[in-house]
Amino acid sequence: MQGSSLRRGSIAGLTAGSGSALPALLLVGLFFIVPVVALLLRSVTDPEPGLQNYAALFGSGTYVRVFLNTFLVAAVVTAVTILVAFPVAWMLAIMPPAYGSIVFGIIILSMWTNLLTRTYAWMVLLQRTGVINRTLMGLGIIQEPLPLINNLAGVTIGMVYIMLPFMILPLVGTLRAIDPMTLRAAALCGASPFQAFRRILLPLSLPGIAAGGLMVFVMSLGYFVTPALLGGTSNMMLAEMIAQTVQSLLNWGLGSAAAFVLLVITMALYALQLRLVGARRTGGGL
Amino acid sequence: MLLDYDRLGWLRVALVGFTAAVAAFLLLPVVFIVLLSFGSSRWLAFPPPGWTLKWYEQLFADPTWIDAALTSARIAAMSAVLAVVIGLFASFALVRGEFRGRQLLRGLLLTPMVLPVVVFAIAIYAFFLRIGLAGTTIGFVIAHTILALPFAIIPITAALEGFDKSIEDAAIVCGASPLQARLRITLPSIRIGIFSAAIFSFLASWDEVVVAIFMASPTLQTLPVKIWGSLRADLSPVVAAASSLLVGLTLCLMIVTALLRRKLSR
Amino acid sequence: MTRSFLSIRAVRKTFGAFVAVHDVTIEVPRGEFLTFLGPSGSGKSTTLYAIAGFQDPTSGDVLLEDKSLLAVPSHKRNIGMVFQRYTLFPNLSVAENVAFPLSVRRRPDAEVKRKVADMLALVRLENFADRHPGALSGGQQQRVALARALAYDPPILLMDEPLSALDKKLRQEIQAEIRRIHRETGVTILYVTHDQEEALHLSDRIALFKEGRIEQIGTGEDLYVRPASEFVAGFIGNSNFLPAEHLETAAGAATVRLADGSIVTGLTAAEAFSKGQKVRLMVRPEALSLAPGPASAALAVDIVDTAFFGDRRRVLARTASGDEIDVRPTSDTIDPAGAAAGSGQRIYFDPASAFLFPA
Ligand SMILES: Nc1ncnc2c1ncn2[C@@H]1O[C@H](COP(=O)(O)OP(=O)(O)O)[C@@H](O)[C@H]1O
Ligand SMILES: [Mg+2]
Repeated sequence: MQGSSLRRGSIAGLTAGSGSALPALLLVGLFFIVPVVALLLRSVTDPEPGLQNYAALFGSGTYVRVFLNTFLVAAVVTAVTILVAFPVAWMLAIMPPAYGSIVFGIIILSMWTNLLTRTYAWMVLLQRTGVINRTLMGLGIIQEPLPLINNLAGVTIGMVYIMLPFMILPLVGTLRAIDPMTLRAAALCGASPFQAFRRILLPLSLPGIAAGGLMVFVMSLGYFVTPALLGGTSNMMLAEMIAQTVQSLLNWGLGSAAAFVLLVITMALYALQLRLVGARRTGGGL
Repeated sequence: MLLDYDRLGWLRVALVGFTAAVAAFLLLPVVFIVLLSFGSSRWLAFPPPGWTLKWYEQLFADPTWIDAALTSARIAAMSAVLAVVIGLFASFALVRGEFRGRQLLRGLLLTPMVLPVVVFAIAIYAFFLRIGLAGTTIGFVIAHTILALPFAIIPITAALEGFDKSIEDAAIVCGASPLQARLRITLPSIRIGIFSAAIFSFLASWDEVVVAIFMASPTLQTLPVKIWGSLRADLSPVVAAASSLLVGLTLCLMIVTALLRRKLSR
Repeated sequence: MTRSFLSIRAVRKTFGAFVAVHDVTIEVPRGEFLTFLGPSGSGKSTTLYAIAGFQDPTSGDVLLEDKSLLAVPSHKRNIGMVFQRYTLFPNLSVAENVAFPLSVRRRPDAEVKRKVADMLALVRLENFADRHPGALSGGQQQRVALARALAYDPPILLMDEPLSALDKKLRQEIQAEIRRIHRETGVTILYVTHDQEEALHLSDRIALFKEGRIEQIGTGEDLYVRPASEFVAGFIGNSNFLPAEHLETAAGAATVRLADGSIVTGLTAAEAFSKGQKVRLMVRPEALSLAPGPASAALAVDIVDTAFFGDRRRVLARTASGDEIDVRPTSDTIDPAGAAAGSGQRIYFDPASAFLFPA
């Protein structure tokens, strides 16, 4: 790396300073790219060459339902996460740091706590006989326990819980980058708080909301643990289906095809997200 | 005025109340699980009929839990060291290098963070089955290093971008060799980034479930796999005890991080 | 004329134990261009914010046509403002920015359109209507901000150092536009700046702030010719200060002894001094000349340096006691013969144009 940056050749010019990336490149190439490509090839070669795995995937009502359910859950989780995260991020962006740091501490604690631990806690909390149902019944709000687990409600609560930090933290950055003077100017122009929110604050936060929301959506699409533990069998998600197809049914061809579909959707949305974030960066002064 | 905390009026009351509720929501499972682990009810009744340490006794009496924890620690430590070292070298290329495809390389090295883990898990599992690394510590470490690499590269490149290269050049002008300059000037300056990289890479491996579920063998189990198995079988309070210890570990990590950051940034 | 327009009455603002504004009281007649001038941190913005409603004063009151504004939220005060930082709405085009205050007031579309066109014409940006703020220069952005602030015909326009981020040439250009717009619209303007030249150029009256108080308020000429304190004299225009000892005051004319022993008589004293009190004599560089006038006092100096600027000459002189004096004779007093560097020379001034301040 030292030598190459000093060399002055046309080839050196193309590769100057790239040498030290070699170990990472080898590792990722050999143990990430190769296995993933091999898996994707398997989707068109296993058990025999052809597109029969994809035909099976899109031809079966069961699998199409899994796709639809995956999108539904990801969309609901993203929407709820945005609605919950925005006010929190807003307050964190302008709160006195003494209070704000307490909330930040709680967010970090929750984010760093083992994923299974958090999911386990929700499994216990949301059970038929769990604390939430008992509290609600004790307060007389409901007569019968609510079905909160092994269904969409359970998955949504558990996933929103996990995704919130990923939405709140970048949004705080977006909101802090907005000059409070702009909102004062809006007020002096005669805008009521609601008008200032709808016409200035919300549009100015939109790039952050879109980027964060897309990230949450992408992460939710491929999530495995929480849906598997909190969701029901009737609303299985794609990741769980892939794992099951490979692990229990040993149907590698079909599992690989489903993995490929998940990969393509994820990467396309990721590219879109990069573009959103990138546009915001190059937009600079905007 | 919407961004002036002092001038929000009644809106502030509503928003602060909402923020407090969300903070409580985020704290609830963590606190709950710790309380539960000391409860005496086998059926996880809450509030518990009495308080006990028996779940912790059962946990420590069961060698499979201890084994799983030690395995996890070993794999996470090795993965973190590898990820930080490889990530450090890669970061120099990504930040300082002037070659075509630098952005592409960055994208490539960060992809493992974006790709759904389940896709990578079955891919690497199939690959390791073929080359005989499935169910081995080496296989685990390789897979986890790949997953941890983005978490190492992001903070290190950020620190490196914030470091003024001319300081390193000044050291070289003063007679230090380029290597000496990097070791004695640059690395100490980006130590906060390296330290964050180490924490995040360790956590990335320590908490990893999906790859581990596929890779685990009856003789090689990480802690998350052990917990996963227990959760699928029943909701034993022993899991609550194990989980509480994990929460304790997280708290320790947070405190150490905060203290070290304060010390390092001085 | 019994009804006052804008009254700032004993406005006080504290942040914790720190008093940012001490009981500031000003009456502003309709149509006036009043400038708050003062060093950074002297409480100008804080006073302006109390009028805009961004901060509640700790005590005191702000009245517009005898009605208190304090209970009125900012968005109902109907006041225009241009800020130091660029505060155009980055998500809206230039025309939409100017239309914003009208559309939140739900004015009919036709009126909004006409008014936006008028305002853009007023600030000469007709051709930029569809641009976004990011694609404008700083000067253009501030002109749009001015158009936005005037679009709803507010009775009062507040401007908080609107030109401080611009370079000198652009600043002068927009100063001229602000003067023109003030003339054309007749709006009452409260303008904040820390630049005395800008204040002198623009204002009908200047309120000079120092550490949260108004040190002096009056026309630019008042402050220049009759400074109430050494601070005012030092802040407005250029001045030389010479340490001196007060000997006596008779019939309004004071006599002092300078540090080099020379006696100067016929001076204007800012207050009554006792015999032997230490004072400072202030004289403007342009009141000094190299040739004696009809009633002039003389100072024995060494000429250290001279520079010629075509229309004027600058001379740096030093007294025997080591005080440096900046001399800028006006054209009719230029005396080429006396301008050579050297010792044992004399400079002259009319004692009536000099002041005495307490040391
Ligand atoms: N929100 C605030 N909190 C604490 N001190 C403040 C605040 N706003 C202004 N100050 C202080 O009040 C004084 C006057 O500020 P300001 O009115 O902005 O001065 P100017 O506009 O004349 O430069 C300054 O010393 C400033 O530090
Ligand atoms: Mg100010």
